[in-house]
Amino acid sequence: MKEQVLKKLQVLADAAKYDVSCSSSGSTRPAKDGALGNAARAGVCHSFTEDGRCISLLKILYTNYCIYDCAYCINRRSNDLPRAAFSVDELVDLTLNFYRRNYIEGLFLSSGVVVSPDHTMERLIAVARKLRNEHHFNGYIHMKAIPGASAELVAEAGLWADRLSVNIEIPSENNLRLLAPEKNFGSVLSPMNQIHQGIVVNKEERRKFRKAPRFVPAGQSTQLIVGASPESDFDILRLASGFYKQQQLKRVYYSGFVPVNLNDSRLPALLKPPLVRENRLYQADWLMRFYQFSFDEILDDNHSFLDPNFDPKLTWALRNPAFFPIDLNTASYEMILRVPGIGVRSAKLIVTNRRFGSITFTHLKRMGVALKRARYFILCRELPLQLKEVDPVYIRRKLSPSIQPKAVQLSLFEHA
Amino acid sequence: MHEMKASSLSLVYDGSYDGFLCAVFEAFERRILPQALLPASRPLQLLLGDQQMLETHPNLAERVRKGIIRKSSPRNASLLHVAFLSELPGVELLLLRYLVKLFADAGGRYWQNMLDEEVFEVVQIARKVKKEVHRFNGFVRFQETADGMFFAPIDPDHNIIRLLARHFRTRFSGQQWIIYDTKRNYGIYYDLHTVQEVVLQNHRINFNAGNVAGEVKALDEDFYCRLWQEYYDAVNILERQNHRQMTNLMPRRYWKYLPEKNKAGK
Repeated sequence: MKEQVLKKLQVLADAAKYDVSCSSSGSTRPAKDGALGNAARAGVCHSFTEDGRCISLLKILYTNYCIYDCAYCINRRSNDLPRAAFSVDELVDLTLNFYRRNYIEGLFLSSGVVVSPDHTMERLIAVARKLRNEHHFNGYIHMKAIPGASAELVAEAGLWADRLSVNIEIPSENNLRLLAPEKNFGSVLSPMNQIHQGIVVNKEERRKFRKAPRFVPAGQSTQLIVGASPESDFDILRLASGFYKQQQLKRVYYSGFVPVNLNDSRLPALLKPPLVRENRLYQADWLMRFYQFSFDEILDDNHSFLDPNFDPKLTWALRNPAFFPIDLNTASYEMILRVPGIGVRSAKLIVTNRRFGSITFTHLKRMGVALKRARYFILCRELPLQLKEVDPVYIRRKLSPSIQPKAVQLSLFEHA
Repeated sequence: MHEMKASSLSLVYDGSYDGFLCAVFEAFERRILPQALLPASRPLQLLLGDQQMLETHPNLAERVRKGIIRKSSPRNASLLHVAFLSELPGVELLLLRYLVKLFADAGGRYWQNMLDEEVFEVVQIARKVKKEVHRFNGFVRFQETADGMFFAPIDPDHNIIRLLARHFRTRFSGQQWIIYDTKRNYGIYYDLHTVQEVVLQNHRINFNAGNVAGEVKALDEDFYCRLWQEYYDAVNILERQNHRQMTNLMPRRYWKYLPEKNKAGK
């Protein structure tokens, strides 16, 4: 019996790992005295795997049997691999016992599609319902909304889960059709739109009745695979930007394609997952969410891919030299945010502290500004040459990496 | 009043925050900046000059505490306490220099000025401590004992154990637990009602491995621990191997009590 659970765990954790979302933040599920768990506004990473990703949730599939045959997915029905399915009780027991030991702070439950989308969705709901109702579990639950599941089931899922997600996976309709013949954009967008509507309505209800049950309090997210199909970074950022604006997603995750299925002529032959590209996309995503950039400032029709050698903010600055130099002692917060090498925290520190005196290099260094980049774009008395103009050619030469960038991944998964 | 003269005297306090605040009081009374301000637990033989062991009077400490709040804010007062808990060498003198400036400040905004070296240092150190608290909200690993108690050993850089109480009290209000600092040899114990400090005597815990002795372990403890270890290995994506990133986010010094990093035969 125990050995069986162990086997299932190995198979179904291994099969779940390509979903990159690890976030457990943004929810406010207050603890009830005597009950188990709560959801913290800022998520907590509980461990980090050898690939540098954070573990905060028990990320697991209900089953890896699947009726679909998507080219990019390890669990497609034509793959010959060990298959397993948990029972509802086994998953509940695992979650509770991992949670009590502080291995995790919640459950991320996904699944291959068995029998039908509705059947699968029902099984996932049964796990979450049992955790919430019978075990008074207050920890974080992230659940997949299965594309094609009925509106009633998605609505019920939203009552038990903190976050729901539907993965778009392939960033364009044509290529999704090619790689996942049984899926289409509509089947992904319709639950996404339903969840969005549900959240909007719920917010309104809770304004009127404070006791109204919460619906998906941590919002929804999606994932798209980068490099399995030929879309440009511009296409991807445009799509992501639309998700943030229209469906008001909390997060879009970019997953560098790991070639799990060899010998499929529909897929590119990659030796390694495109980690640099994935990293640049995350940086661009950050610019959209925290730095007030719009996607068409970062890229446009003439520049449809992010530069692997420079971060997207630096690339933008080099294309817009007229915007600089910026005087840190007088410029607005929004303008300071646009300086390469200055992050959200240091921009705030500059704005709140310049009333005490003028900001010097020593201050900037202490605040954690990357002067290596920032120095070319700011006015500062200590600079040897008071620069009046920004020369992109010169800066580009100065900052060019002498070797090809390594596949370094910044700590994007740090923020659980 | 705020001319403080450098002195070759070393002030020694009992190690508590109250004791430190009394030392601050003493320094202000005598208008000296002592050569050193140290807890009694730190070896003193290397110090030159005179030493003076101070007594701790809670009412004196309270006066200093109130003064800090009056000159800044309650939040800032607890920030200073957090920085103190870093136990970094020299943090006491840094805080003293900070307090000299704070109490001399007529404008009432000294403590908000991050361009000031002491203010920045203190905020930076407090941030470090809070970061470790946040990390340990995740890195604490409980083991269940046969009588349903959950025990977790920790070995943090800073003296953070009291700062962990609120998070764990909220999250695990329905189970009894102990989080124990094996280096500083004290812990916090939650008995389903309140959290209190404890020192374990006669304990059946191996402080090196952090294991609860076999005979007091819950029946299923090893099983769930093994499941967790297997889970940790199973979710790793080999093609994305990034050991450096992992050790940046979860430095080796924290692995001691993490079962996923201490798999037998690994």
